[in-house]
Amino acid sequence: MDDLLNRAPCGFLSFADDSKVVDINATLLDSLGYELEEVRGRHLETFLPVASRIFYQTHFFPLLKLHGRVEEVYLSLRAKDGSEVPVLANAARRDHGAPVIYDCILMQMRQRNQYEDQILAARKLAEEATRAKDEFLAVVSHELRSPLTAILGWAHLMKSGKLDEATTKRAVEIIERNADSQNQLIEDLLDFSRIISGKIRLDVGRVEPDSLVEAALDVVRLAADAKGIRLQAVLDPKAGPVSGDPERLQQVMWNLLSNAIKFTPKGGRVQVRLARVNSSVEITVSDTGQGISADFLPYVFERFRQADNTTTRLHTGLGLGMAITKHIVELHGGTIRAVSPGEGQGASFIVRLPVMVVHTPEQLSNATTEPPPVAGVAPAAELTRLDGVRVLVVDDEKDARDLLGTILTQCGAVAKTAASVSAALEIIRGGKLDVLISDIEMPNEDGYSLIRKVRSLEDGPNRSIPAIALTAHARASDRLRSLTAGYQLHIPKPVGPAELVMSIANLTNRDHNGSSEI
Amino acid sequence: MTQNILARNNVKVFGKGTQPMLFAHGFGCDQNMWRFVTPAFEESYRIVLFDYVGSGKSDLRAYSAERYGSLEGYAEDVLDICSALELSNIIFVGHSVSSVIGMLASIREPDRFERLIMIGPSPCYINDPAGYVGGFERADITGLLDVMEKNYIGWANFLAPVVMKNPQRPELTRELEESFCSTDPKIARRFAEGTFFSDNRSDLQKVTIPSLIMQCSEDAIAPLDVGDYLKRHLPGSTLRVMEATGHCPHMSHPDETIRIIREYLSAGGGD
Repeated sequence: MDDLLNRAPCGFLSFADDSKVVDINATLLDSLGYELEEVRGRHLETFLPVASRIFYQTHFFPLLKLHGRVEEVYLSLRAKDGSEVPVLANAARRDHGAPVIYDCILMQMRQRNQYEDQILAARKLAEEATRAKDEFLAVVSHELRSPLTAILGWAHLMKSGKLDEATTKRAVEIIERNADSQNQLIEDLLDFSRIISGKIRLDVGRVEPDSLVEAALDVVRLAADAKGIRLQAVLDPKAGPVSGDPERLQQVMWNLLSNAIKFTPKGGRVQVRLARVNSSVEITVSDTGQGISADFLPYVFERFRQADNTTTRLHTGLGLGMAITKHIVELHGGTIRAVSPGEGQGASFIVRLPVMVVHTPEQLSNATTEPPPVAGVAPAAELTRLDGVRVLVVDDEKDARDLLGTILTQCGAVAKTAASVSAALEIIRGGKLDVLISDIEMPNEDGYSLIRKVRSLEDGPNRSIPAIALTAHARASDRLRSLTAGYQLHIPKPVGPAELVMSIANLTNRDHNGSSEI
Repeated sequence: MTQNILARNNVKVFGKGTQPMLFAHGFGCDQNMWRFVTPAFEESYRIVLFDYVGSGKSDLRAYSAERYGSLEGYAEDVLDICSALELSNIIFVGHSVSSVIGMLASIREPDRFERLIMIGPSPCYINDPAGYVGGFERADITGLLDVMEKNYIGWANFLAPVVMKNPQRPELTRELEESFCSTDPKIARRFAEGTFFSDNRSDLQKVTIPSLIMQCSEDAIAPLDVGDYLKRHLPGSTLRVMEATGHCPHMSHPDETIRIIREYLSAGGGD
């Protein structure tokens, strides 16, 4: 063989119609670790691992035989020591003479091969992610629409005026329940969005896990009772404390418990165990419900995933709860895993959180021994009284003004409303008020402008009026801006009546019986 | 309907004889693979060549993943062609997986077929721990699918169905001829899966047509064990072990292939 070809920086191989090697250059022999005598006359397949062998026989050879040429074919060669050498092959039939000989150039492509593997894998992931996202969007629009059907339907019926009092009451309950559920869905979505964009902040303090679990159990007890599900708790009161955000951990417990109840049929059992395991606190929520199949188990905590995405599925929801739960647990330095013997055989979710070991003086003095009360909407009868409180509500949306006005009036407040900053300022200059509640985003002039103007009024009764910004803008930066502009409180919409009324009561120094301390 | 099938499967009919000789290509290729062999039979037989839907110049629009996800779907192509051309007394010549496809077709319509000639056949490619040697483990086939994925690239991936319908661009036709015979990677993949993951051992005993098993020496895809197994379980079968090596003797050793087929056909029956 020509020396140039023999030592060229690429592999060269020639073979006959029977695929037996006629000649091979030194470069290729070196990369494969063979001597010439070991190779000459042997079938090509000697250097091909199984997969490439099949491809050679079904694709490479037929193409070469039929068309006389093959270009850019990827094959893997097998070296004498068993290692694989990825190559790119070009082959052509020699034009002159008989017998037929094929010449083949083989270029190593180790790095390119790795690169290609990565691209292919990334593409698969992207395709899967897109598919999951599409499915999720379909689920979201369905889930958000479902409550609306009930809300609109019953509202129409009520409007028709043909319902008797009992049905009307039921209609109102249904509307409220569905609106709540939609609210929760949106909260979940926003929560999730905050988590994945890294905007979630933890208010870290000392948390006693047994109180945490008990509080969560209190919340879900009603739902469990409704399904005849037994709630059991085996809690070691000495397993703790942990360092964490009580509200977020509460959310985790609530997610796990309500999931357990959701997927357990009537008459089943949900158990919570709290124990100390080495330097961790372990909380296990187990149920006797429908369990998780082995196929789905690896995906339980993935966003947008639900075991059943079909239109006839039994359980509604966005498939975000578990992803959110996992994120929160991991933000706390903990782990969570799911275990299930299989479908129909129940499931357990095990959360591990590191035990809080170092107690700094600040932590001890700020320690809360009880988690804060779980947010909920109190029934109307329990709203704090605001008798005689003079409130001005500023919002460009009529529905919002009417709603707030009605709530406040029902609590005994004297409510005035204004649809714009200029109208509000007129009322403010008109007489003493006790509280100002304002929307932020309004056409022409916004709520920031309003409060700045109020705070720069010449001495008057309302210059230092306690003010609440009530707005759909809920980011930390929005809150800061409100407080800087001059509001005392920044409350995100939608707000439950109880929270709003309590805030007003606190701002105006009303004690919980509604009487003023002034 | 007839015209549709003939166009759909790119059917070619020629030859001076009356008895039909139907050649079925294997996985990875198309009817062109027979061109070293058919000249020897043109005088005495009526040669029928075709491409399975998804291969060669067949109509890709007729492809359905469901139908062609199993070998039965391919057998239907064969029977559709037999029906369209009103064939009977067929000498069926099948390469590799087409051997099994021919078997399945003959089980469904035995009256059409006179002989089955099988080149490099295998009823099952995956080894069965209970004692059957097919030659491969599942991981090997997964490896094959990876190699295929790395090779079905370029224009073929994205444009195949569109381009093949464009007669105003002859340069593309030229490229077409030099690329893999099944240009659509998804179709090729499904054909690979359907071929290599199938297990048709239980169908062997249902075959009533006499058959010739042409077994290559050193065939990585249909090893000697498999030829042996077939001989023992396929009723009415004759086994001829060839001197040819590799998996495509009709391309690499056409003379020996022609000779063996001729000898079998003139011998007039099984052993």
